[in-house]
Amino acid sequence: MTSTFHTRLLAFVLTAIALTIFGIKVFQYKYPLTPGEQTTTWDFEIYLDFDTANQPVRIETFIPSASDSRRVSQEQYYNGAFGLRLENSDGTGRKAIWTYRYPNDRKVLRYRARLEGETERSPLPPEMHRPVDKSAPDSLNDLERQAFLVWSSDMRRRSADDDSLAELILQEIFVHKDVDEIAALLPTTLPPPLDRLMLASEALQSQGIQARVANGVYLDEARRRAEVQHWLEYSVDGQDKRYFPGADPKEFFTIWYGTEEMIRANGVFDFEPQISIQPIDSSTSDVVRTAAREARTPVELFSFDRLPVTTQLVYQVLITIPAGIVLLVFMRQFIGIETLGTFMPILIGIAFRETALLNGLILFTMLVGLGLAMRFYLEKLRLLLVPRLAVVLIFIVICMAVIAQIFNGANMRMGLSISLFPMVILTMTIERMSIMWEEYSAEDAIKAGAGSMLVASLSYLVMTNQHIEFLLFNFPELLLVLMAACLLMGKYTGLRLSEIIRFRELAKVAPPK
Amino acid sequence: MIRTWLGLRRAGVLGINERNLRLINDYNPRRLMRLVDDKTETKRLANAAGIQTPELYGLIRSPADMRNLEKLLDHPDGCVIKPANGSQGNGIQVILGPMRGGWRRSNGQRALLEDLKFHVNNILSGMYSLSGQPDVAMIEYRVKFDDVFDPISFGGVPDIRIIVLRGVPYVAMVRLPTAESDGKANLHKGGVGVGLDLVTGRTMHGMQKGKTTDIHPDTANPLGNLSVPHWDEMLLMAAKAYDVTGLGYLGADIVLDKGKGPMLLELNARPGLAIQVANRMGLRPLIEAVMKADIDGLTAEQRVELGKKIYREHVPEHVHA
Repeated sequence: MTSTFHTRLLAFVLTAIALTIFGIKVFQYKYPLTPGEQTTTWDFEIYLDFDTANQPVRIETFIPSASDSRRVSQEQYYNGAFGLRLENSDGTGRKAIWTYRYPNDRKVLRYRARLEGETERSPLPPEMHRPVDKSAPDSLNDLERQAFLVWSSDMRRRSADDDSLAELILQEIFVHKDVDEIAALLPTTLPPPLDRLMLASEALQSQGIQARVANGVYLDEARRRAEVQHWLEYSVDGQDKRYFPGADPKEFFTIWYGTEEMIRANGVFDFEPQISIQPIDSSTSDVVRTAAREARTPVELFSFDRLPVTTQLVYQVLITIPAGIVLLVFMRQFIGIETLGTFMPILIGIAFRETALLNGLILFTMLVGLGLAMRFYLEKLRLLLVPRLAVVLIFIVICMAVIAQIFNGANMRMGLSISLFPMVILTMTIERMSIMWEEYSAEDAIKAGAGSMLVASLSYLVMTNQHIEFLLFNFPELLLVLMAACLLMGKYTGLRLSEIIRFRELAKVAPPK
Repeated sequence: MIRTWLGLRRAGVLGINERNLRLINDYNPRRLMRLVDDKTETKRLANAAGIQTPELYGLIRSPADMRNLEKLLDHPDGCVIKPANGSQGNGIQVILGPMRGGWRRSNGQRALLEDLKFHVNNILSGMYSLSGQPDVAMIEYRVKFDDVFDPISFGGVPDIRIIVLRGVPYVAMVRLPTAESDGKANLHKGGVGVGLDLVTGRTMHGMQKGKTTDIHPDTANPLGNLSVPHWDEMLLMAAKAYDVTGLGYLGADIVLDKGKGPMLLELNARPGLAIQVANRMGLRPLIEAVMKADIDGLTAEQRVELGKKIYREHVPEHVHA
């Protein structure tokens, strides 16, 4: 009994330490307990498909760049044989410039990145808070300048302050569209809605309000062909504002400023630029946000905030594994689910991270099924154990390669994700299952396989749960609580749920007292 | 569900968690487990203490020993090939005797030398061993089992399991092969387990695949009221197994040979819990009584008597009914 007491004491002490640190963080330093507003990351791709004719090609395109309020990660360039140069200009944005002297045939260039977008509440870059010189735009001729000044002083008269002035100007330009004065002032070189946005920006600047045209994409839903959108950002009395012609997007990403075109191409024909966006259910946004938070408290010594983001991402995966383990222990000690191997369901669960649950289950079942068939066939050849395992492993890799090829046509994500599916785990699963199949029965083997899948799925759901991940990542001390839970479960001597069913007949024969 | 749970508590039914924690952890030190996990070691210890086991014809330790295989198999009455570190009867191959061009297997099929070499190779590479470690293949005497269980078994060897706690045998069952279990007396594979009255060695109720039954599924004969011969001798063997291994919680698997009497087949340091269903009772009252008993200085014979006394005192009436 002393060991039981010892265990309980240890569990209590661990829990107490963890909850103390947790309490200090939450109550004294006001750490948030939930991930807060959910932001998704977006897979962004610029796909440039064109024909060339043996003459120098130069393609320039604005590409997303990070700022305080938006993030770009995992950038990839598919250049082919092209030369790539990146150019940063403060006023407009970041440009990728691809060049090639004598190309022929059809060529494809791609740019890919993960984006974390902005919302209307995101702050504008600091340069938007600089004061501006009040002056009429240079591009106008004298007559137009006169008209502009008349119109803008009229606006000024009708408003109370800068804020209402800005509102009024925008209303005049975008809502009462048919006013002749406005139509006359619109720059003729720009297509709508850029012309009106440009005019608004100039009008605001002439009144001392910092404003500019912003261009980018709306992150609303998966789109194969996303359109470039244009809007206005301006800053009034230190307040950051945006004006979107049309409906306000929930989330968007600013790619460049000004009225330049996004993509400019020379020396190509049959040019088909395509921008696509796709949401990713990823929790990396949490890490990124946490990374942005500055270390400011002594308790932050015990947190991952200071690590580089890539390392953080690794820990973000690692730190949720204990939650999966606790679930596994519970399933085994209290429910009594049979699994193949002790921790194998957890490994499968981790593998599901790459494939998502449904795809993972399908792939896993498919590969194990194929592998088992191979394994039964190999039984006839009477091979030694280790070479036989090797044959099964190679067969699995081949199956994976074939499946990747097949799915590549239909759904590229699934095809790519499969390559990271752990084949060694699969091989061991197949070997264990086939031995069980022979030594016990097909039923037992399938039951254990299904049990493993169930635990793997549940552990996947636990390990990828946003809240659990957020809590463990931001409050790593909670691992001690998980440890305490395992300590206590390690002393559980009661019946498992499966045993209650297994021994149920004994409950009937027991004499009632 | 709750009612079932309460009923099981009342009946003192033991679960795996409790067995692992209160019996195996507390009574079976890890360093001693080796003695029963390795069957060659068990055999050596048992023989030294005068406990009869099937005669060992030879061992195959490495592929280089394989050339001896044919000679080792050369017994007119057949033999048994088994992994020294196997568990739950896995990897056991019974050879009834030579046959034209090969050997006759227990299921009547012919096995070629090549087949048997492959099987031994699998054993050596650790396919059946507890932890997948390389193993040793044993070739030993094939037990000609006594015909007492003939009416209630179907092919294969019935064996008797006696569970011993602190050297005190306190519960037992006989395991009978069925058509479903493919001649193996293994409850996992569909063998029938029949509870034994510890005092008299008489069969009582049975179970198959976790369900209670009173007749053998293949022969349809009643399972009850059959007396196991040499019963006290078997109990004594089981009690002595504690002395030779030092393991406090053991399952002794004993077979009854027609000519040579009871033989210890193997010892199990992690005996299962299905014996509760076979005996239709929970083990906890018996276990607690054995735990409390004073066994200091008792001989194996005295511990057998103690076990019978505890059994008489704690086993509920309905078990014998």
